[in-house]
Amino acid sequence: PFGFLRKYLGGKKITREDITKTKSLLIDHLVKKNVAPTVASSLAQEVEKDLSGATTQSFTSVEETSRKSLEKALVKLLTPNSSIDLLKEIQKKKNNNELPYVISVVGVNGVGKSTNLSKLAFWLLQNNYRVLITACDTFRSGAVEQLNVHVNNLKKLTDSEDGISHVELFQGGYGGADLVAKIATSAIQHAKKNGFDIVLMDTAGRRHNDAHLMAPLQSFAKAAKPDKIIMVGEALVGTDSVLQAQNFNKAFGAGRTLDFFIISKCDTVGDLIGSMVNMVYATGIPILFVGTGQTYTDLRTLSVDWAVRTLMS
Amino acid sequence: MVLADLGRRINSAVADVSKANVVDESVISGLLKEICNALLESDVNVKLVSRLRNKLKATIDAQDKPGVNKKKLIQKAVFDELCDLVDCHQSEIFKPKKKQTNVVMFVGLQGAGKTTSCTKLAVYYQRRGFKVGLVCADTFRAGAFDQLKQNATKSKIPYYGSYTETDPVKVAFDGVEKFKKEKFEIIIVDTSGRHRQEAELFEEMVQIGEAVKPNQTIMVLDASIGQAAEAQSKAFKESSNFGAIILTKLDGHAKGGGAISAVAATETPIAFIGTGEHVHDLETFSPRQFISKLLGIGDIQGLMEH
Ligand SMILES: Nc1nc2c(ncn2[C@@H]2O[C@H](COP(=O)(O)OP(=O)(O)OP(=O)(O)O)[C@@H](O)[C@H]2O)c(=O)[nH]1
Ligand SMILES: Nc1nc2c(ncn2[C@@H]2O[C@H](COP(=O)(O)OP(=O)(O)OP(=O)(O)O)[C@@H](O)[C@H]2O)c(=O)[nH]1
Ligand SMILES: [Mg+2]
Ligand SMILES: [Mg+2]
Repeated sequence: PFGFLRKYLGGKKITREDITKTKSLLIDHLVKKNVAPTVASSLAQEVEKDLSGATTQSFTSVEETSRKSLEKALVKLLTPNSSIDLLKEIQKKKNNNELPYVISVVGVNGVGKSTNLSKLAFWLLQNNYRVLITACDTFRSGAVEQLNVHVNNLKKLTDSEDGISHVELFQGGYGGADLVAKIATSAIQHAKKNGFDIVLMDTAGRRHNDAHLMAPLQSFAKAAKPDKIIMVGEALVGTDSVLQAQNFNKAFGAGRTLDFFIISKCDTVGDLIGSMVNMVYATGIPILFVGTGQTYTDLRTLSVDWAVRTLMS
Repeated sequence: MVLADLGRRINSAVADVSKANVVDESVISGLLKEICNALLESDVNVKLVSRLRNKLKATIDAQDKPGVNKKKLIQKAVFDELCDLVDCHQSEIFKPKKKQTNVVMFVGLQGAGKTTSCTKLAVYYQRRGFKVGLVCADTFRAGAFDQLKQNATKSKIPYYGSYTETDPVKVAFDGVEKFKKEKFEIIIVDTSGRHRQEAELFEEMVQIGEAVKPNQTIMVLDASIGQAAEAQSKAFKESSNFGAIILTKLDGHAKGGGAISAVAATETPIAFIGTGEHVHDLETFSPRQFISKLLGIGDIQGLMEH
């Protein structure tokens, strides 16, 4: 896979200049994979550190060293530091009688929040939970009806006769930010009263660079007190992914960050999967799932191994 | 403003050259490097950037003779190359004609902004005196018809769609026929989001195209798209032969370089840009004026013609 390095390095002794050149080849390689140039440079710097110790060795060892060290850096980056075992956490709360567990999705426009929220619902229903989907996108036309269709589909697919797994929609129509907070609080009350284990809250897409649109996220988080806030980020997006992730990560005020990413539309980019690297690099927030299509089962745990292999290929 | 960062960086790189006492090889190579970095950081395709770099260098080398004003030469070369990137030579962008039927079909990746832009375009032409109708041929996405219906209703645009028919080809055909009979001048057909990796989805797009025979197909592209832009837009071009691009979400922070790569890869012009979620957030786009404004040179008439 790293043949491009061999082609460049030939069979000669390695010089300082070669390391610089190697670095720039690596950056090129990563940028082609949709890694942002700034992120690619930082990763290449780690390779440089490792290479500096191997200056006098042969070209194969330089190729090997840079490949291994980049691989190592990527594995380290993409492997979650904290637990991403959501079911376990939900179960813990259940045992403590602290349900409903509240999860909300946030992100920029059109990335796949509502769709991946529905996939999450499907997954939770399959694990025999009672799920209340809540329509906190009160802005975009058709947003409520979109969730209603999903809820009806999910009912048909998963409602069990014994009534254990069950899904419903909670909605309050369309309106402004006040309405959003109101819907969020009433949904939680409704869930408590009616024995729902989990409340999944959809939110409106918003531009991460617009303070007026980002500010309501704070009041939303106050009202909904989500156990988990998941940002849906899109595999298609380029360098803007860095700032998208950073701005959403700090949108909830002091002491509250994002908990997870779902990286959507991974099926649309082939091996150009760099945007997930950008988002994790920018924030240190782990990836809970990747979205790999438009049906309810297209939600996977990220295989770090696969991702790194794809990025190195 | 759109791509403003990129413009500022390129412009200041060019200005740096003129400040240098001697414009030698190393100054030129510094300039090229800075321009290329700026383009890459804006998501312009890697291959395109390296091609542009080589062409720029060749032009500058070839024309650099004693007596030639180097700053002007460089500025012009940069201008021409950037124009080449977004201009794509095909000057005739779709102009719908009154008193006849113009069918416009929207295509694009999932979530790019098709449905939103459909209504924006409908309103744009309605304000210019056309009789415009909207057809929802997206039978896949949950709530797609409701979305279009609510948008159309708010803007008082007649619409067609179905809650029960699942075949998008049939809905598209029926809707267009209905509006044709009623002498609508512009009929805009919204379709589902799709991507090149799923052949069936592309096949469906081809079939819708065959059913409605569009006078113009428009690809809607999200301005924040990265390196995947080239392959996706090329595939859409091959299957739908779209003749114009609407670039959306330019009110965001994205620098739009991915979209520029799509333009270059498909040699298709950007006709409109979307600058917000509201129905009037649509502007026409003129590449040459755009680049000259970007670099602060040439005639600085209004960038947008309304
Ligand atoms: N191919 C593919 N498409 C996806 C994936 N996830 C979502 N989509 C599609 O992306 C489009 C947008 O999805 P939505 O869920 O409506 O996105 P959103 O973020 O809720 O959009 P807004 O609420 O308008 O901001 C739809 O056409 C989905 O089917 C995925 O993993 N792969
Ligand atoms: N900020 C901003 N948001 C936009 C713009 N155009 C569309 N959007 C938003 O992007 C999201 C997706 O838009 P849609 O029109 O539903 O996209 P689509 O291409 O029809 O999506 P699918 O049908 O699912 O493929 C919505 O939240 C829109 O409000 C724009 O120019 N600026
Ligand atoms: Mg949504
Ligand atoms: Mg749509």
